[in-house]
Amino acid sequence: MEQHRIFDNELEKLTRKVTQMCELVNQQVDNTLHALVNCDKELADQIIENDVLVDKLDVKIDKLCQNIFALQQPVASDLRFILSSLKINNDLERTGDHAVSIAKRIDAIADYPDILEELGIPEVCDSTTLLFKDVVNLVKTHNLVLSSDIFSNAAEIKDKCHEISNKILEEMMQKSEVIVGATNIMVITNLIERIASYSTNIAESIVFVVEGKIVKHKKKFYESLDENKLDEED
Amino acid sequence: MKNSKIFTENLYLHYGSKMALNNINLAIPEKKVTALIGPSGCGKSTYLRTLNRMNDLIDSVKIEGNISIDGINIYDKNIDVVNLRKKVGMVFQKSNPFAKSIFENVAYGPRINGISDKNQLTEIVEKALQNAAIWDEVKDRMNDSALGLSGGQQQRLCIARTLAVNPEIILMDEPASALDPISTSKIEELIVQLKENYTIVIVTHNMQQAARISDMTAFFYIGELIEYDKTKNIFTNPEKKQTEDYITGRFG
Repeated sequence: MEQHRIFDNELEKLTRKVTQMCELVNQQVDNTLHALVNCDKELADQIIENDVLVDKLDVKIDKLCQNIFALQQPVASDLRFILSSLKINNDLERTGDHAVSIAKRIDAIADYPDILEELGIPEVCDSTTLLFKDVVNLVKTHNLVLSSDIFSNAAEIKDKCHEISNKILEEMMQKSEVIVGATNIMVITNLIERIASYSTNIAESIVFVVEGKIVKHKKKFYESLDENKLDEED
Repeated sequence: MKNSKIFTENLYLHYGSKMALNNINLAIPEKKVTALIGPSGCGKSTYLRTLNRMNDLIDSVKIEGNISIDGINIYDKNIDVVNLRKKVGMVFQKSNPFAKSIFENVAYGPRINGISDKNQLTEIVEKALQNAAIWDEVKDRMNDSALGLSGGQQQRLCIARTLAVNPEIILMDEPASALDPISTSKIEELIVQLKENYTIVIVTHNMQQAARISDMTAFFYIGELIEYDKTKNIFTNPEKKQTEDYITGRFG
């Protein structure tokens, strides 16, 4: 039983670290969207500075998973949890990078708060902040009711971002003098869209942990395939 | 199940008044490795021994239900048990070579089956030793005592002895539990090679071994078959909580 106690301790440690990573990245997302809407350059600098904390935790979680695989040979729900922790960690680290990329562009768009308002970016930022809070709760509780909210809210945010990008593109085609500013806003919009996408990925990973079902890519091709057939294709 | 070699239907086994197997239904596929797992006393070894009627040797045993191999009920009164055990060979936890030479250990089975031609026996012995992946280690010492071999070599010699009588099914009862990691690895590689030509049923307490080498896994608990599925399903997403608890070490 001693061996099992060690394993349980390692799993608890991994759970704590993934939750910590989730809260840290949530703070980065929350801050960067707040800084964007309020053109807060000081807060943007703080986000850029804090990225090192995200990176450090990313490496710690990777190493922890590597050690558990090597020393404990996890199976079943333990295996799914550790595999998903690796993926969630990767998605969170990328989300953190996107928060930093937005923060780095705040200076360039600080003079256009009215344009952000006109494009509806503050509303998208609010929705994304709420979306990421749901992600944190889902990772903490594994309550799959949250996952369906995340899937639909993230899809709405992505649609809204595409809409905004199209509007910006139209504006750029008509007025060449706005190209530099508009490009920055477009990049920021795309980064918000990516954050929504990573939220979906994380929710899919939690569904895999809880139910053992692969739900990613379902809309594109997965409905017509069963997992056993996928195994046999190799 | 398609290509099933062994069918077990409604099998009950009692040792006196104690029920050891409770309504087992299982279809074991041909030329695959099927692992039987479960805690001590769960009935997995008892079940394994029903497949070549080794339990017949115990007086208090009472068996009900059917086990058929290639469609023939092996508990039919007309079945010749000696022939059955030729078709269904067995390798035990502890290697048990005879106190004879390496050659004589492997030649023993064919010889009692009536083969006396020296050249033919030599050919059978060599082939069995090659198939058991031990030929290169023993070819220059065929007349030495088998008891001088290492534990891992003795176990592979016992597998060669089983192969020499040309079985179709090989039952293995924890064949690597007393071996070091290198010998274990050799036995595992051998099992994977052997499934090209033989149907293998293996009892193991080593979860990782079951995961590494078997195609199908059956989980037994207190005489019942709790879950039976492809090994990759059992070890990634078992359906029953008892299976999950056992393979993740959270049992009891």
